[in-house]
Amino acid sequence: MDPRGPSRSACLLVSDLPRAAVLRAFPALAGRPFAVAAGHGPRAELVSASDEAARRGVRRGVGVAHARSVCAELEIHVASPALEEATRAALLDAALACSPRAALEPRRAGLFAHEAAVSVDASGIETLFHSEAGFAAALVARAAALGLPARVAIAASRSVARIAARRIAEDGGTCVLAAGREAEFLAPLPIDALDPDDALAEQLTRFGVHHVGDLLRLPRRALATRLGSGALALVALACGQCALPPLCAPAEARTAEAIDLEVPADRLDPLLFALQGLLSRLLARLELRHLACDALHLSLELEGGGRDERRIGVAAPTRELRVLVRLVARSLESSPPRAPVASARLETRGAPLRRDQLDLFRPPGPTPSALAPALAEITGLCGATRVGAPAVADQHHPDALAMNEFAPRVPQAVAHAAPLARSLALRMLRPPATAEVRLRAGHPSWIRSAVSSGPVTRCAGPWRTTGGWWSREGRFAFDHFDVQTEDGTVVRLRYDHLARIWQVDGVYD
Amino acid sequence: MSPSPPAHSRADADARVEALLRDLGSRLRRGSGEAARQSGGTRQHPTGLASLDALLEGGFPSGRLCEIAGPLSSGRTSIALALLAQATRAGEWTAWVDVADALDPASAEAAGVSLERVLWVRPPGPREALRACARLLEVRGFALIALDLARPAREPERLAAAAWRRLARAAAASGTTLVVLSQQRVTGTASELAIETKRSRAHFSAAPALLEGIEIEACVARQRAGPAQRVASLRLCASSRAA
Repeated sequence: MDPRGPSRSACLLVSDLPRAAVLRAFPALAGRPFAVAAGHGPRAELVSASDEAARRGVRRGVGVAHARSVCAELEIHVASPALEEATRAALLDAALACSPRAALEPRRAGLFAHEAAVSVDASGIETLFHSEAGFAAALVARAAALGLPARVAIAASRSVARIAARRIAEDGGTCVLAAGREAEFLAPLPIDALDPDDALAEQLTRFGVHHVGDLLRLPRRALATRLGSGALALVALACGQCALPPLCAPAEARTAEAIDLEVPADRLDPLLFALQGLLSRLLARLELRHLACDALHLSLELEGGGRDERRIGVAAPTRELRVLVRLVARSLESSPPRAPVASARLETRGAPLRRDQLDLFRPPGPTPSALAPALAEITGLCGATRVGAPAVADQHHPDALAMNEFAPRVPQAVAHAAPLARSLALRMLRPPATAEVRLRAGHPSWIRSAVSSGPVTRCAGPWRTTGGWWSREGRFAFDHFDVQTEDGTVVRLRYDHLARIWQVDGVYD
Repeated sequence: MSPSPPAHSRADADARVEALLRDLGSRLRRGSGEAARQSGGTRQHPTGLASLDALLEGGFPSGRLCEIAGPLSSGRTSIALALLAQATRAGEWTAWVDVADALDPASAEAAGVSLERVLWVRPPGPREALRACARLLEVRGFALIALDLARPAREPERLAAAAWRRLARAAAASGTTLVVLSQQRVTGTASELAIETKRSRAHFSAAPALLEGIEIEACVARQRAGPAQRVASLRLCASSRAA
């Protein structure tokens, strides 16, 4: 016997997926008359209509032109399969925020084609949420946080929970079926509630079986003989039994948001507007799972069949929309898509925000949660290779530059071994400034460069630096001099033996 | 019954306890530096250069906009690196916003800077540098930010006075000291402290000919909390090539 008690399942259901998807993408439509059409043009059929539109007489299944004649203020949106798929994934995220075992139910055809459902394991859940009703309310609240009007039913099996969820009158409602009362609940329901296939439903109607209770009263052997095994499966369902396998924790998946643009975006502004919406929905889903946005994968489907794929690096996981929008904008501005964009998809793996432990005896550094978005923003401003912690390059080339990732962690003991020196610093010139040099007895006697010019008053050197002799491209040979000119500037001058030029590569300061 | 401890050992124990309490107190004070800054305490960042610290009566003021201006080879970078060295050794986090792209990590390490405690930002221009500084000041947690605007062979950056005032306010709010390095003074009246550096002379050894160091003069050109036009002389030593 299961130590968690009898098996229980919850169904998180969105009854009108096209409407919920559009409302999630355009929250400003709430309370306004709008409808979702299957395609473009005045003859396109409406697949969904908002409550306000329905109150004004707009019905599902009519054409766009007809609907507009009924309600002049009606806004029409074209159904986006990508957006609906992202909405289904968001519903799964809402469920996973409450229970580790949840699964998206496959889409149905026919009467329930426009619904999205997630089955959630609710066995033993009272220990976490005090009661099954509390769990149902929590699921509804998580879905509402993602902008999804959902309803939740809890029953002994996945199938019955889904049927019960469909019977809830309005969005946001919940229903808990006590164990053993499934048959009693199902008996008065019409036979269509069990979602039989069309042929079986027609045969049952011809036999005069209109309700689930009627079906249960029939002898099973005779039913199987006349209507086949499909009828027996329907009877099992009517008894509250479920043939579906138990739920398991889903494999870790990347979080993705997508949208099909109604009109291909040929300029960056409308595209960025759409991407900002995608990012905000992506962040809401990540936040629900206590994650932050990591590196982004942006996939754009172009008009005419092309595709533009790009990876947008994020310096540290962040939940700041402003930062991410800036990074995406920077990427698109630096290399715009080569054709109008018809569809966009953003995907991220998600990573936990960095946390830090404060130290009682040391100064508090920047908190990771504040530093991460700042680093991401500054990286977007300056470039990925221009932000980090300086490091001494592990080579002898004077122009070698090294940077490490800047990652404040709980500091180890600070070394106090070497005393601080009143050290003279060298300022590098990147790139080195070309110099014109006159020599006397092999030493510079006069220089002219963008940094300093004039007669040389003091000179030290040369010091030869060579390396990379084993490769044609990497070899170098320099003679360095420390030189003071008449105006008092002390520069580091070098002669490049390979290029046969003089350069100033640093200034002592 | 155990014998009572001798008088001198009890005194030793008391002294040890006193020393431990003092050490604990100083470490706690260092740890609560942020709180001290927020409460308007007079915390200062020393440079470790004795004559300059004496001139500034302790060091650069915390949570203020400061400026070090001077021509090439006048020791601005060395003073800024000395500041960073002291701060990073005390366990603070710092940033170097490098418009000039001139930071030499080897020099910084030779000056005693703990490089992993420095965020090095190399913005493409001064405007991006100001935005990066403003963003870092928002983070609150950096004790010191150095903004290096001293690009040789370029005209001095002309940035709006309002931008400097905004940065000064942000520095005061975050408790971060913002030190601007430039060839000529650019921050105007927004800065709390402005130091102008001049080169005096360079020292070369005779045989073998080696650059030993340079002598500079640091003059307090502006200080809100004290008299200006005070001068200190410093000698900065070049790290030996022979070593």
